[in-house]
Amino acid sequence: MKGSLYTLVYAAALGTACALVLTFAASFTRPYREANAAAKKARNILVALGVDGAEKMKSKEVIETLEQSVTEKELGGLAAYVYSDQDGKVLGTAIRFSGPGLWGPVKGFLALEPDMKTIKGITFYEQEETPGLGGEIASNRWRSQFPGKSIVGADGEIGLVIGPGDDAPNRVDGISGATMTCDKVQAMLNDAVKGIAKGATNDG
Amino acid sequence: MADNQQMMCGSCGSSGLCGGKGLVTLKEGAWTNNPLAIQVLGICSALAVTNRLANSLVMGAALIFVCVGSNLIVSLLRKYTPHRIRMVAEVAIIATFVILFDQFLKAFYVEMSDQLGPYVGLIITNCIVMGRAEAFALQNPPMLSIVDGLANGLGYAVALAIIGFFRELLGTGEILGHEVLKEAWYTPNQLMILAPGAFFALGMVIAAFNAVKGPEAEEKK
Repeated sequence: MKGSLYTLVYAAALGTACALVLTFAASFTRPYREANAAAKKARNILVALGVDGAEKMKSKEVIETLEQSVTEKELGGLAAYVYSDQDGKVLGTAIRFSGPGLWGPVKGFLALEPDMKTIKGITFYEQEETPGLGGEIASNRWRSQFPGKSIVGADGEIGLVIGPGDDAPNRVDGISGATMTCDKVQAMLNDAVKGIAKGATNDG
Repeated sequence: MADNQQMMCGSCGSSGLCGGKGLVTLKEGAWTNNPLAIQVLGICSALAVTNRLANSLVMGAALIFVCVGSNLIVSLLRKYTPHRIRMVAEVAIIATFVILFDQFLKAFYVEMSDQLGPYVGLIITNCIVMGRAEAFALQNPPMLSIVDGLANGLGYAVALAIIGFFRELLGTGEILGHEVLKEAWYTPNQLMILAPGAFFALGMVIAAFNAVKGPEAEEKK
């Protein structure tokens, strides 16, 4: 019995000591981790908007560029980031979208040209899809299909199609072995795209 | 694990490892009983993160840190740890060091942390770390345990660096991101940065280590 008590006390003491060390480390690194997360988000906005060299900028530069040339506003219930040059000419708008993926939340930015119909770029800054399959949504190769595509179909219907089909201005290829992820990404993009369309008509 | 235990006992008797000889411990961990190339432990992470030399180096550093830290604490507590829960205690200590390193990467080297993904966290389950705690730190004084952790961490790190060097060189024509083999005459061999390339590279390293060690190692068995 005595041995059991000692074991219990030992386990409790060791567990507490480990927890204390980790708590201290977590609170010490929190400001750094939060700054990193902000920089990551800023970088994704800039990459989606096609800002030159955004992929390789330092964290500080990314935040500065974002503050200088991007203004935040609301568009059809979505957070929108408007990118303009020094004279105030709008060069593009990035819209934040999110939704459930196959394994966890998927979040990203969809950037449109000033006409608000043509896609400028897309990034995913948070996703937990299957690496090598659904996770490929974040790859350059898959994302590079988007620029130049339209969020309006040939028949005037608003929305994107991800998956097989005839060539259409609003269709991109899916990923083999990741049909579920593609369907979910398509659904969340279409939600966002409809919000954009709504917001655009309200504005005009 | 069973294999590991056997080898330890064999070396205890003959080479005087338990007599407190640091140099022997160092050589044992890093070279003659290299955890990756001779014992073939911890190959999951070795296959996964070695597509770039930089990744391999950071992973090696992580393992050295965790191995040294956990060996020290396990050794310091070895006389007070109840035998029944010693493995639970070892895992708790190892996990603490791994999470510390992970937090450090996430705070100061976030890009590296993103590239290594879950593999830093998975060091908790790396058989090398637990193997050293169980087979060495539990029976040896703190200083010698540090040497042992350092030796095994180094052994793993060096083997990883060799694999990472060749995979990045042949797979991308670069070393640490700098172009070495000019694209004009070298076509990067994609296979080397994919999973099969990892197996080939690891196999070569294991073969090379064993070839250099030669018949002497064979006889011992």
